[in-house]
Amino acid sequence: MINVVSRLFAAVVLCALLVGCSISSDSKATESLPAQIVTAGQGLIAARRAPPPQTVVATRALLAKITEPVLQINPEAAGGSDFLRRAVSRRDSSTGRVEVWNSSVLAQVFLRNGVVVGTRGVGGDIIAADANMTILALRLRADRSGQRVYTISDGDATSTEYVFRCTVRSLGQENIIVAEQLFATTHMQENCIGGPSGDATIRNDYWVQPSNDVVRRSRQWVGPTTGYFELILLRD
Amino acid sequence: MIRKFGNAAAGAAVFGSVALLPSYPVAQEAEGIFQTPQRPSLNFYGTTGLIDMPSAQMMPDGQVAVGVSNFGGTTRTTLTFQATPRIQASFRYSGIKDANFSAFDTYRDRSFDVRFLLNRESRYLPALTLGLQDFAGTGIYAGEFIAATKAFSNARIPGTVTTTVGLGWGRLGSSGSIGTPFGEDRPAFVAGDSGGELSIDQWFRGNAAPFAGVEWQINDKWGLKAEYSSDAYTLETANGSFDRKSRFNFGAEYQVSDGVRLGGYYLYGSEIGLNVQVQLNPNRPAAPLRIPAPQPYFIRPSRREDPQSYSTDWVKSEAEASVLVRDAIMPLLAAEGLTLIETRTTASTTEVRFSNERYGSTSIAVGRVARIMARLLPDSVETFRIVPVVNNLAQSAIVMRRSDLEALEFSPDVVDASLAVTGFDSASPVLRGSARNEEVFPSLNWSIGPYLSQSLFDPNEPIRIDAGVQLSLAYAPAPGWKVAGRLQHRLTGNIADNARPSTSALPAVRTNARLYADNSDTSIRELYASRQWKAAPDIYTRVSAGYLERMFGGVSAEMLWKPVASRLALGVEANYVKQRSFDTYLGFQDYTIATGHASAYYEFNNGFTGQLDVGRYLAGDVGATVSLEREFDNGWRVGGFFTLTDVSSEDFGEGSFDKGISMTIPLNWFLGKPTPQSGSRTIRPIQRDGGARLSVPGRLYEQVRSGHREELVGNWSGVWE
Repeated sequence: MINVVSRLFAAVVLCALLVGCSISSDSKATESLPAQIVTAGQGLIAARRAPPPQTVVATRALLAKITEPVLQINPEAAGGSDFLRRAVSRRDSSTGRVEVWNSSVLAQVFLRNGVVVGTRGVGGDIIAADANMTILALRLRADRSGQRVYTISDGDATSTEYVFRCTVRSLGQENIIVAEQLFATTHMQENCIGGPSGDATIRNDYWVQPSNDVVRRSRQWVGPTTGYFELILLRD
Repeated sequence: MIRKFGNAAAGAAVFGSVALLPSYPVAQEAEGIFQTPQRPSLNFYGTTGLIDMPSAQMMPDGQVAVGVSNFGGTTRTTLTFQATPRIQASFRYSGIKDANFSAFDTYRDRSFDVRFLLNRESRYLPALTLGLQDFAGTGIYAGEFIAATKAFSNARIPGTVTTTVGLGWGRLGSSGSIGTPFGEDRPAFVAGDSGGELSIDQWFRGNAAPFAGVEWQINDKWGLKAEYSSDAYTLETANGSFDRKSRFNFGAEYQVSDGVRLGGYYLYGSEIGLNVQVQLNPNRPAAPLRIPAPQPYFIRPSRREDPQSYSTDWVKSEAEASVLVRDAIMPLLAAEGLTLIETRTTASTTEVRFSNERYGSTSIAVGRVARIMARLLPDSVETFRIVPVVNNLAQSAIVMRRSDLEALEFSPDVVDASLAVTGFDSASPVLRGSARNEEVFPSLNWSIGPYLSQSLFDPNEPIRIDAGVQLSLAYAPAPGWKVAGRLQHRLTGNIADNARPSTSALPAVRTNARLYADNSDTSIRELYASRQWKAAPDIYTRVSAGYLERMFGGVSAEMLWKPVASRLALGVEANYVKQRSFDTYLGFQDYTIATGHASAYYEFNNGFTGQLDVGRYLAGDVGATVSLEREFDNGWRVGGFFTLTDVSSEDFGEGSFDKGISMTIPLNWFLGKPTPQSGSRTIRPIQRDGGARLSVPGRLYEQVRSGHREELVGNWSGVWE
């Protein structure tokens, strides 16, 4: 019995020594499988223990330095801020103008007239979504209700379609401050119910400038894995 | 005309971003808006149930559960799989300490269970389940039951109360019997019986006894259980393992996390028990896959607006244009972890053949190639033919129209709409007139790393492990050719300590594993040369020769017919092999055999794949293997197989015939980052010499299938990831 225990112990020690020291001709796979799992696990633990990163508040001085369109995103659950640059802006066959915003970390957010219709590289991404009803309500600043369909990645190469019944209402005029500048906006709120068992609720808030229909600031749902993003259009 | 890219990659953040999107995705939902599906608790047999008794509940479809329980000298480790919404199957390994009824100190046994849900729980009717426990083993846990379970919730009591009543036979009818409704002739358990055969003649025979119980799930974390057991534990109490003073059991359970539940119990009026329950669902990745966002592509101007951009002047000759495209596309593919093999272009159609070393799903790779083509190619190219290639086998041609890609990129129904306009064609065996990537061949791949090998279910030592260093080499001099070898050196381990000699009545083709492990620390596991190619658009061929596996060497030839859009595939394989010497160097023993199979493979509608192999096995026995696997779109697979040959169950020995379960888990399911690697394991309750197949490296079916229609369709949203 002791023999078995000592041998097992030796085996464990050996494995510990060998983990991570696998080498190969393929530089992409230098980390052995156990090492990859250990690294991923350590990252996960570190990410959970670390205090959430601080959200950045953009100032007018900062804004003066930029000359191109910039969208600030503050992920609620993960914390921190990122500043995205516009890669694409065009019209297609659906309602509104579609824009692709590139983040600094190889992630993207797709907006259609300011409404999130997709994400990439975030994890549990919105592959596609329709926003016709919402876009119309924001443009008219009038109450509207209808169905919204999200196709959301299951976290592998498959996706699931989630259907929500949504209502957009106007909550009246609100002045908001973005980069130390005051904007007169209409606060529009979208409440949705639906999802896998029909009882999940989501709530999106939009602050729309009546002068030009621009969604200056919003808080939108970006899927069950990521939760909510605050989106601030610093410069358009 | 081919577009050049400057700094188009996502630039640095405008003012040095402070933080980003989650660097390590967490599987838990950020907002918890989608509640976890119903997750019934497990019993001491590792299946849905009360404490020691079963219930009629089923787990969510596809769920995999592992239960480890211990009480009164008995430990049971069980793997349970919810194969369909109505069928649950389990494999169990159990040990009873100080068992004076068997030849070993600890009596160890393997058993299979299966359950069928007869009625789904509805508003007024309970769930109704019929179960067969240990239905094909030596029968120590043999028992059948029918159980009804109903859940109640009421505003006055927090949580949910679930009640179960049932009627059991066999072990589950051994205490408090109410008679023998279906006959009395039930044979008693005999230790040391070879087992393995379905015990149809004893199901629902002998005494029947009622059992019942209640589970109160107070809140998300805590649950209480109480039950009335109908198991007399005749064998264990006679053995002195424990005193059975009561028929009542009680317990409390705590849900530690989404997947882990712990329970403590007081059983049969005398024993304390523990139960660890782990559940996970293959459809819910432990870490969601996160891959860098693709670059958006350009939209071509309309032909009316800018006819000049559609000029075909850039194609002076097709050969020249193909070289142009090849040189431009190679680095872009490489940046996505893909390797260009060859390309051929005309003014309107471009075919790209590539291999994928990064993504677990071919669909993701196809999407990346399509985007690169849409960004790169001159406007006159309208048709894309995307051909994934695995080791010289062009799997299929995925045909997309560029204007569809442009129109659909941000469409709300992009997944379904793009699938509807995509064609799946056969790929020609050879692409004539192509521009080839000269850097692909010859190639040498090698790796040195640790290895672990296991030997399970030895009655004296259930888990035996060897560990050491492994060197793998693969040299590919030209397309389809491969010379590969694997050398292992054992540093420590106890597999060779297994003292049980082969007692087989058949040629010892597999039961000499100990001698192979014992004879030398250094072994050549494989060393062979192979060539594979496509003989016709739907026909794949392989020839291999050398030391094909640890115990056999020789020659092997295989041919497979698998049309791209067909669910059916047919194959034949013929081998002539000689048994290798125990030192696993280059020598051989005297035993030679011609072995081979004709195989049929079928992809069923609901994610199940079936395989039937008919032929001659290594020991010279003739018969067939039936395999059934449930395959999840993300690459998880859980399945089982059995082999029946002309060897009698007496000659076969323990287990009566060859059978087992298999499981494959893609690594990116755990890691959340793309990798094509996966972990695979086949578990046999016992390895004997009958029904043993040669283990040839590089069988064709799995190589070919990942790029065929059925696999791509299941993962089609990966194209847009």
